[in-house]
Amino acid sequence: MSKKENKKSIEKWEKSVNETVAKRPERKAQFATTSDIPVDRVYFPEEMTDEYMEKSGVPGEFPYTRGVQPTMYRGRFWTMRQYAGFGSAEETNKRYKYLLANGQTGLSCAFDLPTQIGYDSDDAMSTGEVGKVGVAIDSLADMEILFDGIPLDKVSTSMTINAPASVLLAMYIAVAEKQGVTSEKLSGTIQNDILKEYIARGTYIFPPKPSMRLITNIFEFCAKQVPKWNTISISGYHIREAGSTAVQEAAFTIADGLAYVDAALEAGLNIDDFAPRLSFFFNGHNNFFEEVAKFRAARRIWSRLMKEKYGAKNPKSLQFRVHTQTGGSTLTAQQPDNNIIRVTIQALAAVLGGTQSLHTNSRDEALALPTEESARIALRTQQIIANESGVTDTVDPLAGSYYVENLTDEIEGRVLDYLKKIEDLGGALAAVEQGYMQREIHDKAYEFQKRVESGEEVVVGVNQYRIEGEKQPELLRVDPNLGKVQKAKLEQLRQSRNNDQVQEKLSALRTAAQGNDNLMPLILDAVRVYATIGEICGVLREEFGEYRPV
Amino acid sequence: MEKKIRVLVAKPGLDGHDRGALVIAQAFRDEGFEVIYTGLRQTPAQIVNSAIQEDVNIIGLSCLSGAHNELFPEVVRLLKEKGAEDIIVVGGGVIPEEDIPFLEQNGIARVFTPGTSTVDAANYIRSTQGQGGEPLMAAPQKIDHIGIAVKNLDESVQFYTQMLGLKLQGIETVESEKVRVAFLEIGETRLELVEPTSEESAIAKFLDKKGEGIHHIALKVDNQQDRLDALKNAGIQLINETPKLGAHNNMVAFLHPKATKGVLIELCEKASE
Repeated sequence: MSKKENKKSIEKWEKSVNETVAKRPERKAQFATTSDIPVDRVYFPEEMTDEYMEKSGVPGEFPYTRGVQPTMYRGRFWTMRQYAGFGSAEETNKRYKYLLANGQTGLSCAFDLPTQIGYDSDDAMSTGEVGKVGVAIDSLADMEILFDGIPLDKVSTSMTINAPASVLLAMYIAVAEKQGVTSEKLSGTIQNDILKEYIARGTYIFPPKPSMRLITNIFEFCAKQVPKWNTISISGYHIREAGSTAVQEAAFTIADGLAYVDAALEAGLNIDDFAPRLSFFFNGHNNFFEEVAKFRAARRIWSRLMKEKYGAKNPKSLQFRVHTQTGGSTLTAQQPDNNIIRVTIQALAAVLGGTQSLHTNSRDEALALPTEESARIALRTQQIIANESGVTDTVDPLAGSYYVENLTDEIEGRVLDYLKKIEDLGGALAAVEQGYMQREIHDKAYEFQKRVESGEEVVVGVNQYRIEGEKQPELLRVDPNLGKVQKAKLEQLRQSRNNDQVQEKLSALRTAAQGNDNLMPLILDAVRVYATIGEICGVLREEFGEYRPV
Repeated sequence: MEKKIRVLVAKPGLDGHDRGALVIAQAFRDEGFEVIYTGLRQTPAQIVNSAIQEDVNIIGLSCLSGAHNELFPEVVRLLKEKGAEDIIVVGGGVIPEEDIPFLEQNGIARVFTPGTSTVDAANYIRSTQGQGGEPLMAAPQKIDHIGIAVKNLDESVQFYTQMLGLKLQGIETVESEKVRVAFLEIGETRLELVEPTSEESAIAKFLDKKGEGIHHIALKVDNQQDRLDALKNAGIQLINETPKLGAHNNMVAFLHPKATKGVLIELCEKASE
């Protein structure tokens, strides 16, 4: 196409966006700098070459390099979604209400490790872990308390839950029913990404095959019953935390994404029925421009794969929509206030990279769970970037930077190399089973540690600019008696519920697990009669077995 | 050749964060240790069984979920129960400073917090096994004196000078320590006779508990503060982290007998004039 024609197509795009904006206005009628210099929605190169159109194009359209929406943060800011949860459902409910009152726009649930691994609080395996890294949920009774007074048709909720994702999603649907909210109205996300559990995060339960079945069961169930739900959040975050590079993070995330797409297609689903609900989760790390480029490259790669490899037609199937959390492992226990600055830089990179939602870490997270004050500063960091910095007034402001465009292309090329390698190994699932990604990540983690110890890599406050005799800040402590409290609650529940019904629903689930039916409706039935997470996962453990890493 | 140190790196509880455990396991291998990694989700009982089966010298526990106060002491308790308390337990992870005394009281030999270098951790482990590459510091210059606790200074001086023929250098009172001391010359070193002047003096307590006898050995050093810092960093328990003024215009600091196999050791250096 000629440059002229390209220019024309952009003018056409501008016209259509203007029409939409006329109906649904942007945040301001006019955007300008402090010096009254007008700020355009998007800036384009002088010459609209074919190369530009192929690599970048316009925001909100294929290949989405410049963002998944046409107006990005001029329309509305990203969702400010702080991951929170600790101790009991009562305490966490209080923290949620606090965060919502402070201007947070979505909830994000952290569950404790027993919940994440499908054990009840009174299981021997749960010793010491109840309520530690998140809220303890044993049954629907806890979930009812967790969302008490929070209208589930108004907030969107992200749940960091993987192996037992179907159980927690079922509980959420059941709580909504009690609030009189039907499942079509629910919006939110379950992480539901088992592959990265095997690779990096470690809260797996079942072997890969039945795990993939549970995941595709959810895709299928939600497409009909919970259409606004993001059924998976394919996560590079934990891969990065485990020590990977930015390229590895993007590559392994996309490879995992392709494995889920393949599994869903194999289960007989249509690409455009589930692909629009796939979402992603990235890390916001330190190397500023590389981070920005990582988001841009990932969008371009994903949309091309979905369009060209899988023939997806729905534009939403092509969009790499991403949640970001700033990099937990970059936080230092030393001089913890310095972490506020790290978080700011990382959050800014995610915003300039075009994230759809964002969690900013609290300064004290290398020491313990965040205090209320630390959690507030973290949220304020996002609000300052959104409202005061002006970076939200134009779409993809770093486009056209020689450096950023070069990094975007470089990352794309290196990610594609990795995807090729993984394909040669038999796909992401096979690569995980062979320990390929795990080894690649570990090598980089070890190299980094060595560089820090040699001083080649400076970590402020750790290997340079140290101060002696630091005082530790006040930390949040989880009630050490919570384990006992949850145990007592469980005992009471087991006495007061209808145990015949529970047994009936559990045995129906067992039978279904032996066959090929979608397990979601049966799990929902079991949850409604207050079967516990340990009981439900216990049945599935017996039927499916447990994953043992290589 | 020194026997290879065997280390079990273990992840107790349900925590899945194993970046640190994997990095430390590899670093220890590179340092020449034999390392066994348990993998995730080990109960304290499983960890203790593996440790005994693998005949390890050290267990390194890693926990980032906040369950360390429950899980680490349980490992120590089970080791004792199985008669394997010679296995040293160290730990690391997201562990608040304020939890460390509790863990140490419960038998965790050392807690490595974020930012510890793998080399320091390896050196510590070697030191627990009586192995070391480079010594921590250059040798002290000489034995400055041997301290002997006595009930009656004048009678004791009488004995050492009249019976053994040593030469008395002088007698002085050290108010800060509530003691009277006599120095007796012998070759390049001295004997220091110490008599308490008050019931509260540490020497009075020593006499009560153990009776008269050798109380401490003082080593003459340079760079006293640097040496104290290095010892502290290597996990050696100190009585004085900074030197104080002692007898004879010496700056003195004591190492804890717990850390020195039962001998009270003093590092001393002439106070700058």
